[in-house]
Amino acid sequence: MKTIGALAVLILVVAAGFVSAEEPHGLDVTAEEPSGLELVENVYNRPDGEDMQSRLTMTLMNSRGDTRVREILQFMKDFGDVEKKMMFFESPADVRNTSFMNWSYTAVDTDDNQWIFLPALKKVKRISSDSKGDYFMGSDFTYDDLGDRHPSSDTHTILGREDVNDEPCYVVESVPIEEEYIYGRTVSWIVEDKWVVVKKDFYDEDDELLKTLTVDEYRDISGYWVVTHSTTHHVQRDHTTIMALDDIQLDTGIAENKFTERMMTRGL
Amino acid sequence: MYRLLSSLTNRPWLVFVAVLGVSVAFLIAAAGNTRMETDLDEYMPKDHPAFIYSDEAEEWFDIDDGIIIALEHPDGIYNHGTLSKIKDLTKELERHDLIDRGDVTSLYTVDNITGSEDGLDVRSFYSKVPETELELDALRRGVRANDMVRGRLVSEDETVTLIVAELGDDAFSQEFYHEILDLTAAYEGPEKLYVAGRPIVEGTMAYLAPKDMKRMVPIVLLIITAVLALVLRSPKSTFFTLLVVVLSTLWTFGLMAWLGIPIYAVSTMIPVMLIAIGVADGIHIYGHLGLYQRVTPGVSARDGASEMIRGMWKPVVMTSVTTAVGFISLLTSDVYPIKYFGMFTAFGVMSAMVLSLVLIPAGVVAFGLPGAGKATAKAKAKPEGSDGIAVAFGRDVMRHRKLTIAVTVVVVVISAMGATKIWINSSFLEKFERDSDIVLTDAFINERFGGTSTLNVILDSSDDGAMKRPDVLRLMDEMQTESEMLEEVGDSFGLADYLRRINKVMHADDPAFDTIPESAELVAQYLLLYEMSGDPETLWRTVDYDFAKSNITLQLKGDDSKTINRAIGVVEEFRPLFEDLGVSVNYAGSGYKGLIFTDLILKGQVKSLILSLGIIVVLLSLMFRRISAGLIGVIPITITAIVSFGVMGLLGIPLSTTTALISSIAIGVGIDYAVHFMERFRVAAKRTGDVVATIADAMHHSGRAIMFNAVVVIAGFLVLLFSAFPPNRVLGALVSGNMFISLLGTVTIMVVVMVQTKFYFKK
Repeated sequence: MKTIGALAVLILVVAAGFVSAEEPHGLDVTAEEPSGLELVENVYNRPDGEDMQSRLTMTLMNSRGDTRVREILQFMKDFGDVEKKMMFFESPADVRNTSFMNWSYTAVDTDDNQWIFLPALKKVKRISSDSKGDYFMGSDFTYDDLGDRHPSSDTHTILGREDVNDEPCYVVESVPIEEEYIYGRTVSWIVEDKWVVVKKDFYDEDDELLKTLTVDEYRDISGYWVVTHSTTHHVQRDHTTIMALDDIQLDTGIAENKFTERMMTRGL
Repeated sequence: MYRLLSSLTNRPWLVFVAVLGVSVAFLIAAAGNTRMETDLDEYMPKDHPAFIYSDEAEEWFDIDDGIIIALEHPDGIYNHGTLSKIKDLTKELERHDLIDRGDVTSLYTVDNITGSEDGLDVRSFYSKVPETELELDALRRGVRANDMVRGRLVSEDETVTLIVAELGDDAFSQEFYHEILDLTAAYEGPEKLYVAGRPIVEGTMAYLAPKDMKRMVPIVLLIITAVLALVLRSPKSTFFTLLVVVLSTLWTFGLMAWLGIPIYAVSTMIPVMLIAIGVADGIHIYGHLGLYQRVTPGVSARDGASEMIRGMWKPVVMTSVTTAVGFISLLTSDVYPIKYFGMFTAFGVMSAMVLSLVLIPAGVVAFGLPGAGKATAKAKAKPEGSDGIAVAFGRDVMRHRKLTIAVTVVVVVISAMGATKIWINSSFLEKFERDSDIVLTDAFINERFGGTSTLNVILDSSDDGAMKRPDVLRLMDEMQTESEMLEEVGDSFGLADYLRRINKVMHADDPAFDTIPESAELVAQYLLLYEMSGDPETLWRTVDYDFAKSNITLQLKGDDSKTINRAIGVVEEFRPLFEDLGVSVNYAGSGYKGLIFTDLILKGQVKSLILSLGIIVVLLSLMFRRISAGLIGVIPITITAIVSFGVMGLLGIPLSTTTALISSIAIGVGIDYAVHFMERFRVAAKRTGDVVATIADAMHHSGRAIMFNAVVVIAGFLVLLFSAFPPNRVLGALVSGNMFISLLGTVTIMVVVMVQTKFYFKK
């Protein structure tokens, strides 16, 4: 109710023409306004289904414009305290049937469990790396970007409002509470009502722009907002990752026993 | 010509104003536009295939020269303090504007790939600096077990560790160098810090060489002035002779600036050339005047000036034109700075000619004859003097004709043999004193690590995925192992190292699996695994996205051509084997480019030397209207060039950009001597019709002037032997040596040949 009230006020403000579309404005924080934390919590708590399966096409492009394309069939299921994810590589041909499984725990201080199955080695192996700041499969996403970061990990401030692709957005700055985090701060553009992040800037420890995520397309699938196409440009490495999702199916009731080491070796 | 010059001489102040006007115009041009070109890449011929390929490869694999900082702790580096310093220094370097994040490699940033029973683990060695003995010991064991790090970043005795910061092209500057030195100085104690690497060596040289020259040049000029004053016995003549050299240098650099052409390192050789060549005109002209004054005492200044022009304009024009043409032949070089060097030196020589013929006689008219009173007084007191020596020397040469020929032949043969031993060196390090900090630091790091210099071997296939094939990878690995057998190659790094390491750790660290994986699929899957678990950035320095190209870095103990060539020699043995697999072998990196560059300069130099010899033969034949003149006239040049290269070969002085260019002096000076002498010989032969009298006259007249010229320049350049910078010492020795050989060649063997061939005596 509080949120709706705040939105109503905001809409009135916009309608009155006090806020221009071009630049973020400082917001008068009144009792009716949502806090930055509330906005981020809205994103965090946005329903995204119990399970999902989709085909991910990941295109990696380096500064010289060389590209690599990977096609991955992925399955995800929310188990409450743990989210399990399984990925099977379809192409390139020499890594076909390589599979990757990730168990990500809701508890803040529990590290993810990760396994990989290499068909040429015919073995499932655990993999571990110390830093969530490592890039995922050579993309511009860190493992941390892929998991949902708990809103309580940062302090959030609303910087203002801005339209992105003609949709009104809140601009929220998030500064990590813990010191040794991979980003100095992030700025997210959150579409109001839908609670989808459509743009995000990442800054490094020295407050220099590190990378930008741009959501090129998000769709309503089975009543959930799903980001289907995004581009991440790592400014400092001059490297780009394009992620596109097809054949998306939500809430199909993927079996719980799909996410096991044995299933990893089955292949496609 | 004579009339034009005479009429100019009769209006000396007009001449002075005109020369001043032109000089001021060039000075303004130079003041506004002079630009030093310090970017070494600008020197390279950009369209040369080897350079194009190397530049491309440098971009594909992000190959840059690195600054190497070594931290030494006598009790070992595994303590909280040293590890904190590594971390802090790494972070500080990463924050520097000129260094890209991710281009700093240290124990703090490097990945530790380890295996366990059930999987693969990629972590940094530490992020929070370890404190307890237990943590420190774990780190030590981790490094010992990882041969991708042990011996590469931490020395085997664990007292030294490296931080390598790669610099973008052209990023190096003096300021940056001092910033790095200040930065490392702040971390001193109890650790000792050393800074090395090619950017540092190049930067220091670019800084030291001109600094040393700035100190030495005034001394050189002072000595030349003093000796010139002694020889000419007149402050006025000394002043005007030097003025010609100074103004012609100014005009040359003014023109360069006016045309918008920057000053390259080799351009700094232009004043050297102009000093050596430019003083000759003045000495010969004044020498002629001096002799004329002696035979016609009481001559007026106007008549003296007139006689100077009448007697000398022809040989001065002839020598200058042939010298200029000799330098213009450098236009055939592939290297732009050398082309410019040739072009502008030619312009300088022609400027010196004009100035000598205009300014010197005008000076005589305006300020009177040089030391008229004293010169005649001395001449009376010592009727023979040095002239007697010149004549006597001529007689001796005549008497020992056979000996002269024999000695010449022996010297030329030995020199030619020595010249075959000559080697090219593009090393920067060898330009420093053996006990200089930079050389000692380099040796210190080379002793403990793979090497401070690198050679990049680039494998290239038209087939995408070729670099995943086990047969290609095995050959790569074999090539690395083979090249590491060389003393000069301390280490090597490539895609094969990653795969062997991953294969081993995926088999629970079993050394039996320290091999290239069995199938291309497994290679692909390992690499995917590596990408999933670590920071893959470093992987892309060894292979491209399509796996069609691969970069193997050989670490060398030296940057000299012999070392690079030995490493290349091993790689070349693998070329046919790679070609059988459809893979071509290429090279990249600044060391390799330096090697090719020096080779190009040398070949260009030899080519243009031969070409200019041909042109000079033709020119001289035309000027003296007989082919024999052309052939005899190039004797001093040829001998000087052969002996110069021969001495370098015999003494083991390598050819470099500068030393190769010094052979141009042989052309400029050798031609001057030969032409002056031949012209005088011709005149005397016609007048006397007697061989003995002709030689006496030519020796008395030209021989003396030639010797004075040589003495002046030799004295000046010998000063460089006391230079603090070894290449400048070599420069001094070679210039002096060239002058001396040119002198000797002219007054001995050339005279003998002229006599033996009855030059100008047969009708």
